[in-house]
Amino acid sequence: MVRMKSSHARAAALTALLAFSALPASAQEIEHHKTEKAKPAAPAPTVTQEMLTNAGSDAKQFLHTNANYEQTRFYPGKQINASNVSKLRPAWIFQMDVRESLETSPIIVGEVMYVTTSFDHVYALNAKTGEEYWHYKHKMGPITTYCCGPNNRGVAVLGDKVYFATLDAKLVALDAKTGSLVWETEIADPELGYSETMAPSAVNGKILIGTNGGEYGIRGFFRAYDANTGKLVWNFDTVPEDSVGVWATKDASGHDMHRDIAAEKAQLAKTGDPYKTLGGGVWQNPAVDLKLNRIYFVVGNPSPDLDGSKRPGDNLYTDSLVALDLDTGKYVCHFQYIPHDVWDLDSVSPPILIDVKDKDGKTVPGVVHAGKTGYVYVNKRDDCGIIRISDVMVAQENFWTLPTPKGARMLPGANGGVEWSPMAVNQRLNLTYAVNLHQPMTYQVQTSPYPEGKLWLGGAFKVIPGEEQFGNVSAVNYNTGKIKWQVQTPQPMMGGVLATAGDLVFTGEANGWFRAYDAESGKILWSFQSGAGVNAPPSAYAIDGKEYVVVGAGGNTQIDFKRGNNIIAFTLD
Amino acid sequence: MMSAMRSAQIAIAGIVAAFPLVPTAVSAASVEENAQTCAGCHGENGVPQAKTTPIIWGQNEGYLYIQLRDFKSGARKSDQMSAVVASLEKADFKALAAHFAGLKWPILGQPSPPKDAAKAALTVIGSVGCTSCHLDQFQGDGTTARLAGQQSEYLFNTMTAFRDGSRANNPGMSDLMKAVQPSDIKPLAEYLASLQVVGGQQ
Repeated sequence: MVRMKSSHARAAALTALLAFSALPASAQEIEHHKTEKAKPAAPAPTVTQEMLTNAGSDAKQFLHTNANYEQTRFYPGKQINASNVSKLRPAWIFQMDVRESLETSPIIVGEVMYVTTSFDHVYALNAKTGEEYWHYKHKMGPITTYCCGPNNRGVAVLGDKVYFATLDAKLVALDAKTGSLVWETEIADPELGYSETMAPSAVNGKILIGTNGGEYGIRGFFRAYDANTGKLVWNFDTVPEDSVGVWATKDASGHDMHRDIAAEKAQLAKTGDPYKTLGGGVWQNPAVDLKLNRIYFVVGNPSPDLDGSKRPGDNLYTDSLVALDLDTGKYVCHFQYIPHDVWDLDSVSPPILIDVKDKDGKTVPGVVHAGKTGYVYVNKRDDCGIIRISDVMVAQENFWTLPTPKGARMLPGANGGVEWSPMAVNQRLNLTYAVNLHQPMTYQVQTSPYPEGKLWLGGAFKVIPGEEQFGNVSAVNYNTGKIKWQVQTPQPMMGGVLATAGDLVFTGEANGWFRAYDAESGKILWSFQSGAGVNAPPSAYAIDGKEYVVVGAGGNTQIDFKRGNNIIAFTLD
Repeated sequence: MMSAMRSAQIAIAGIVAAFPLVPTAVSAASVEENAQTCAGCHGENGVPQAKTTPIIWGQNEGYLYIQLRDFKSGARKSDQMSAVVASLEKADFKALAAHFAGLKWPILGQPSPPKDAAKAALTVIGSVGCTSCHLDQFQGDGTTARLAGQQSEYLFNTMTAFRDGSRANNPGMSDLMKAVQPSDIKPLAEYLASLQVVGGQQ
């Protein structure tokens, strides 16, 4: 995963921002210490495993980052629907202290909402009124090493605790009612390039989390911690000691990747397996299959991003879907989308578990993932094997042109395609909804030794000044791979999608527009101007028989979209 | 008071005796004494003596620590700084970093570059993506440096050194600077030097 800016227009906006804006994050002297003044405790009910397991049919709460263990981001309520969404209005707007990149997925437990900000603040809010119960400010250590913005994508909930992870690579448990610290565990050493921006997941008494650091030469991992104590339960290295693989010459879509296998084999003989510094971060939550007792997640890019010369082999399990046993963390199966990636077109959008048609038309348990390549990949859940790849959702130009010292232009750029943005699905329509970027880049390669925790891109990927950039919302039939509809947006898209039983699709844009689309046709049915980039995934819930849709509008560091600090909840008049 | 201190000393001695492998990671000098050495070049009031010397008052703590660490290891080369840090240890670097990060960044009031230079700088920033790490007002965070309002000549020299590899302690920055045209570095330095971080105490 990586970050890269947008265009001159953004730069001009930056100038305006510098001159006139409200306070930026660090300039406000964000106080990194504990909870503020005493307020009424948040009346959050205890979250049971049963509640988490059945979240998919619970229209009152939103208990998982991606709605349910299957990560469908499908909300079962239909009070807000295609016939009345035009009457959707803000119920409340909450302004947080931190005005910086906002990627949080609001979590709603009973009538309490939990949201997080850049630099790792957590708020508990009254989901009906937007009033604050508590505000926790993580005491950040002096060493943080992270790319792509000081983001935090939200909390996990279990029992009477909320869990989140921090830029200085700590996993933190708070009292759900008071916001007081229960425990804090150091996941890894931030001086070596480890950081956390993903939301954890909670299941069967465990808190699951991966790590960032694929831009810093880490050795990636995925882990389970004990929810009560913070002690490590198991660890899975996302890069095995034998990372070489099968010397694949083509990617999953069958395109030749122009690998010099002979040169790679010679390098392997000379320097050995590069697994210790091969990257393989995990940016987003796993999907959980409680029947198979497995988790499915995707692993990010190899380090260094663009220079493959010092990392011979397929670089397993980077750019891959990986399944593990939930109890033990033992490997079950994997599927590599892009062997030996030198474009940072890695796997970051969270995988989704749904039934799909296999090649013979038989319904089988599937895994659906959207890549930075612009494809939706449909895999089998039993052995991780591929079933089909969708029509490409974005233009591919000079696809798999190797980076050069002077720079080679290619589409997609290093942000995708589909970035970390989660998809949503509507299983009645057999559609998965993805948001994409069209952002041509120049890929330049440079060779440098492992820099011990410093930025290690192996070159540079540059947005090309003067070239047009835009985005799209795409609806893809996962049983056929065909694009059902596509709506172009004026700017590249990053944030995420919510689909509802009201046959709606909600997603936001960098220019501040938050929109509802007809799930079947893609027609825009409602729009709201939020005043800052809507670059966060929406959630939905219901209180006293009234449904709400909620989203963060805070812009984005990675592609420099207009910053803000709002959580906005909408309901019908 | 004295006896309490003595007991504490005895207790510490006991701990050291029990865990003899714990490194004694602090030099004899206090952070204030060490900081006095820095003031010789970086300024008594935070304004450096020379235009090629960086502002360190109010710089980000993680960044200052990493640089001191790298001067000591030789990853960042400077005869002057290597001599200064030779007798210092990791704990000294952390203390110095915290000390200088807590001081007020001096506003030098460096002028804005001409319009075409600013435009060139903004184009580079948009293309390379500087704000992804240095953040929207170039205030930086953690181990990433604040650039806004830094000395123009220092910024120019540093970016040039990243580009030609003579500053070798951040290959990612070298890669990014190699992707920038040499003629864009001066406008970029002038633009960044002219910025102030809006709001707050800085």
